[in-house]
Amino acid sequence: MMFLVRCSWLKTFVVLGSLFLVAGSLNVAGFAANEEPRTKNQEQVAVPFRPENGKFPPLDKSVAYRGELVFVDHATRRGSLRVEFKSEFFRSPPTPFAMLPYGMVRYHGAPADLRDIPLGTIMNIRAFLPPDPKNSSVVTTPNHWYPLPLENHAILIEDEPSLCLREGKTWKLKEVDLQNNQGIVLATRDSQDAAAAKDPEEKLTIDSTTRFWRGRESLSLADLVAEGTWPASGKKSLGGQSALLGLIWKPCPDGIFVRYHISDVWLDDKATQRAIQSQTEVHMSLIRSRWMPAFVDKVEYGKFGRATVTVTLFGGMDPSLYADFKKDGTGAINGAENTLKHAGGSYGPAHMASKGTILEVIKTPGVAPMGSSGIQVRFETDLIIEGIRPGRVVRIRPSGWPNVYIPREEFLGEGSKIEDRFPRPDIFPIYR
Amino acid sequence: MAYRSSFLILCSSLMLVCVFAANEAPGTKNQELASVVFRPEAGKFPDLEKAHTYQGELVFVDHANRRGSIRVRAGSDVLYRNAPHPFAMLPYGVVRYHGATADLRDIPLGTMLHVSAFLPPDPKISAVPIVQNPSVEHPAENHVLLLEDEASYCLRKSKVWKLKEVELQKNHGMVIATLEPKDGGDGTAAEQKMTIDTATRIWRGRECLGIADLIAEGTWTAAGKKSLGGQAVRLGLTWLPAGTWENRVENQFHITDIWLEDTALQRSAQQQTGVHQALIRTRWMAAWVDAVEYGKFGRATVTATLFGDYDATLFADLAAGSKMMMNGAENTLKHAGGAYGPAHMAAKGSILEVTRVPGVAPMGSSGVQVRFETDLIIEGIRPGRVVHVRPSSWTNVAVPREEYLGDGSKLEDRFPSPAIFPKY
Repeated sequence: MMFLVRCSWLKTFVVLGSLFLVAGSLNVAGFAANEEPRTKNQEQVAVPFRPENGKFPPLDKSVAYRGELVFVDHATRRGSLRVEFKSEFFRSPPTPFAMLPYGMVRYHGAPADLRDIPLGTIMNIRAFLPPDPKNSSVVTTPNHWYPLPLENHAILIEDEPSLCLREGKTWKLKEVDLQNNQGIVLATRDSQDAAAAKDPEEKLTIDSTTRFWRGRESLSLADLVAEGTWPASGKKSLGGQSALLGLIWKPCPDGIFVRYHISDVWLDDKATQRAIQSQTEVHMSLIRSRWMPAFVDKVEYGKFGRATVTVTLFGGMDPSLYADFKKDGTGAINGAENTLKHAGGSYGPAHMASKGTILEVIKTPGVAPMGSSGIQVRFETDLIIEGIRPGRVVRIRPSGWPNVYIPREEFLGEGSKIEDRFPRPDIFPIYR
Repeated sequence: MAYRSSFLILCSSLMLVCVFAANEAPGTKNQELASVVFRPEAGKFPDLEKAHTYQGELVFVDHANRRGSIRVRAGSDVLYRNAPHPFAMLPYGVVRYHGATADLRDIPLGTMLHVSAFLPPDPKISAVPIVQNPSVEHPAENHVLLLEDEASYCLRKSKVWKLKEVELQKNHGMVIATLEPKDGGDGTAAEQKMTIDTATRIWRGRECLGIADLIAEGTWTAAGKKSLGGQAVRLGLTWLPAGTWENRVENQFHITDIWLEDTALQRSAQQQTGVHQALIRTRWMAAWVDAVEYGKFGRATVTATLFGDYDATLFADLAAGSKMMMNGAENTLKHAGGAYGPAHMAAKGSILEVTRVPGVAPMGSSGVQVRFETDLIIEGIRPGRVVHVRPSSWTNVAVPREEYLGDGSKLEDRFPSPAIFPKY
């Protein structure tokens, strides 16, 4: 069976296990190859939803699933997840995914880059069909006897604490049962929303490598046992203690295929805030050196290369980064690809970028859709460059940010190789 | 005439070297000794002293095939231009992180690593591109015997970073430090400037602090310079873009972690040791087959040398008279079979003897030999081949799909192609 969640905010569960069992693997594979239907609504195959360039797709049309991060190619914003099935998880092959240009990564409750996520982390994903299958950097029709999701272009990928913080959820620890520095924790993931459906109680493993974060302390199981908080062996009630959990997966014995392992426990808000703060700083430093990504909404051309460009900044960053864009400030805009790689950069991204002045910073009314900051910047340049066209992705930098060169794999170079602009999916092994 | 003769000799020498380079990919380390190229051989652990060493930033990881890419630090050149350089772990290659044994999957991208590497043992089946024109930033020695982070390197070499001064502004700043022997040091070590910010983790006992905590305590100052008096610490390093051609900062590193005391690093090492132990108990210990004595009807006695650097408690689980299993594996350490778990097709039997080879084991070897008798020897267990070994006391689990070969019908599964690495 497969764990798939419809995106009317996690209320409707679609279980495809029966389809898998009844239809059989050959039928599923054949269907996928001919029609490329959505996993979510196979009954609506005739009108598959795909995101369009320059528009932020509604989150409720995405598919939600989760899995273990197995592979990362951070320079091209793609990777592989071992998608959770309620069956032989170990046999679930790494399934490639690509981040949409405005797709957001969150780790420890803060904005992140794929490079920040340790391999093995259980991630929650919200994804769509490829906007343009011909140029997809990952396979568009994974052909496997598991019903792998076809929605592999992610608008949001987040670890367990980030999901809990975003959705107002917390883990309640009920009981621990320890033997020889390892054991089982019984816990439920509860929502602050009393009307929300209750998640079932879960058994999670724990061992001497689990990190417990309390205030500014990083503790181990042995420390909690020494304090008398947890028992050295046997069962102890934990009384529904609230915590945030970091989850990974380890191969399980005794025919249990999906049981997650607790890598981290945040025991209090102070510890959580410290983790958020640290990851936020890492990401801010990254964005300041790689520039803020954005969609071009409009270009008004003037004479002799002059133009006024309106862009919408992508979302999910720390507010202080958006605050650096100020009316009358100067800055630069560079062309970029859907992978967010800078179009030019051999002499730094600023070398070929359009320089100019910020005319206006506009906050779009209402709640911004996922992927968007809801902030528009109008920018005037006296030399518009190729790549800055409506619907295209650009990167923009206020001149207060440090002017640095970026690593070789994060810019296109001369751009003569089509592969640089449109990475091929063939780096991903095909498992049968 | 003397000049002309010298010129001719030089040209001839260069031609010889060029021809050699095209065919053999000579080592970066000893290009003058290109006629005696050293390559590791199957079944033998190469001498660490013969390895070419370099340092770089981990940029890409394909942990299932034990390979990745490193941005190699080259002299004082700006690091950003150095394209990721592919590397593959030798089957017995050791990864160390936070002073403990690790797997490639444990190392965060961006970590600065120390590499000790050799030329590809067999270039035809190398999982990473063969370097035809080696340079400092693209050494031909890309098959790694030892890959370790800064803290592990310092522990192995008995070195410490001595913090001289910190200068902070708005919660980020610069640290001046020297890398010196733990005991002594003649004060001649060159000073290095490294950046620090609010994401830097400072480990003290069981505390994980930030620079704001040290400022609040009055140990560091909120703004301006402060002498740190040569405080001995261990560091975790990464590289962040800094500078341009006009404003060069050369190879300036960023401090991700500071272990202020040995206890703190021991706690990190203990945690990483636990992570690796759990991995090996489910993926089995890797070994080389030294000898196979065949009996009748599939019976055989196998002698294997376990690879090195596993935690001692793992070796302790192998005892004469107890049961164990042995499965075929590839140089990537992928299990040969595993669709129903690696134990499904493995040779089963009893441990006849566990011996420790006298003297210090070479890097990559544990120095522990196991003699094992099975009543059904399987393909893949042949002298010089890599195998996996599991004492029967370890929990029997199935391994993830990417960590075993499947039916082995695709050559690519056994010998991963280097084509996945982009060419810059």
